Amino acid sequence: MITFDKVIKEYPPAPRLRQGYGGQATLLRAGNGNHGAYRALDDINLEIKDGEFVSIIGPSGAGKSTLLKMLIREEAPSSGRVLIDETNVAELEDGQIPHLRRKIGTIFQDFKLLSQKTAWENVAFALEVIGASVQSIEDDVPKVLKIVGMESKALNFPHQLSGGEKQRIAIARALVHRPKILLADEPTGNLDLLNTFDVIKLLTKINEFGTTVVLASHNREVVNSIGRRVITMDKGKIIKDQEQGKYSI
Amino acid sequence: MEFNKENLMRVINQGWTNFRRNSWLAFSTVGIMVLALLIFSGLVAFNVVSQNAIASLEEKVDVTAYLKTEVSEGAALEIARELENRSEVLFVNYVSRDQALEEFKKRHEDEELIQEALKELGQNPLQASLEIKARETAQYASLVSFLEQGRFGNLIDKIDFYENQTVISRIQKISSGLRVGGILVTLILSLIAVLVTFNTIRLTIFNQKQEIEIMRLVGASNWHIRGPYVVEGAIYGIIAGLAVLIIFYPIVYFTSPKIQAFIPSVNLANYFSNFSGEMLVLVLGSGISLGIASSLIAVRKHLKI
Repeated sequence: MITFDKVIKEYPPAPRLRQGYGGQATLLRAGNGNHGAYRALDDINLEIKDGEFVSIIGPSGAGKSTLLKMLIREEAPSSGRVLIDETNVAELEDGQIPHLRRKIGTIFQDFKLLSQKTAWENVAFALEVIGASVQSIEDDVPKVLKIVGMESKALNFPHQLSGGEKQRIAIARALVHRPKILLADEPTGNLDLLNTFDVIKLLTKINEFGTTVVLASHNREVVNSIGRRVITMDKGKIIKDQEQGKYSI
Repeated sequence: MEFNKENLMRVINQGWTNFRRNSWLAFSTVGIMVLALLIFSGLVAFNVVSQNAIASLEEKVDVTAYLKTEVSEGAALEIARELENRSEVLFVNYVSRDQALEEFKKRHEDEELIQEALKELGQNPLQASLEIKARETAQYASLVSFLEQGRFGNLIDKIDFYENQTVISRIQKISSGLRVGGILVTLILSLIAVLVTFNTIRLTIFNQKQEIEIMRLVGASNWHIRGPYVVEGAIYGIIAGLAVLIIFYPIVYFTSPKIQAFIPSVNLANYFSNFSGEMLVLVLGSGISLGIASSLIAVRKHLKI
């Protein structure tokens, strides 16, 4: 279970210098909010149960990505608690963060594949970091590549793959260590329609195996086709939370 | 990541794979390291030459104390014994009046005029002397004052120290200057070499900044990320070290006779073949530690979570 409890994320104002009259520099504050600080997440309270498929939608800058980044501690909240089961992710020490990330699969809009490694090695890497044996890597990687339909391109490097193929490899990497949670941050943002629905089909299939899937997207067709829980965000706040939602901004 | 054999092999394998796949960058990094290590080895050779040259010059310096003609052999030998007991004295050689005459005759064998004059004279005009060799050039001054002002002062006629003094002090200046200068130049050039190498490896790793970030996002521990880079750095060091030895030794064998013609006591080829094991350890060791240290420092910057 994932719980967000009164989570606020504020970024300090970016200072800008403007050359004033008489050579005097004036400090300007950028961003919105009372004191010039920028609030990416504003009092988020949210519960996601095990095995759910949740879509988070909203315009750019609504805070969708920040919300996902909280879960893998790429960002820490300014205040509030982010719980995965009983663990408060916000309070993890640096040394524990890799352990947290190994339990979660993540897919990104820009794929984030290791360009120096082949498709096979990219998938195997997720197993290597958890210290899996050579034997289990050789067993599991082909299986997952088969699930995403990429077994024939296992030895290609990322630059030899199309966008859709790269995202399949990224999904395979996110899946191979059987995480309980799969985060997908605009996974279809760089894909054409056909590939988009292939990826969504894969995500729903993964969810059927019991993995919690959290999908951030601003693609209307995608969200409407899934027909599951939809959380709508705007300006850092949750403005709507529907059990069987539609994209409605 | 736990440290076991499988993980270690995995990290070494990854380092080797990275090295192969980055072959262009690896080639230029190794090139820079080769230059750095060549400068280093060259300085070692330069120091060997200069130290040897100074040592051979210093060997030629000694001091002779001439004894008054009435001093008996017993008294002379007593002075010699006294001198030998002093810690700064390497050896003392007593040359009696007869020996001095023998040598003088031998040296001027072919000069009849001198031989005639000696016969005419009927007695030995030469003085007995003590040839004194100190351990270090700087100690002659104190030895001379010991002889002149000590209880043997009235037995000694003259000491040729004052004639040699300018030569002795000049050699002393040159040798200490070369020693300090050699160390300084070695330090400065090595520092530059290390900085250039470090910067090259840093740029190599900077290129992979995104890769490191991705590894972190997938949950790789710091050691899992660092490991392959450290191995890669060590491979750079090994290859550069071997290349340097392959370049350095032929150069030494080629230049050695030329240097020997100039300073006969310096045999570079001999020196470096005697110390080939030490050179191997020194060059490979500094290459490997340079590679590893540079990698560690360069990766550290990207490992912040």
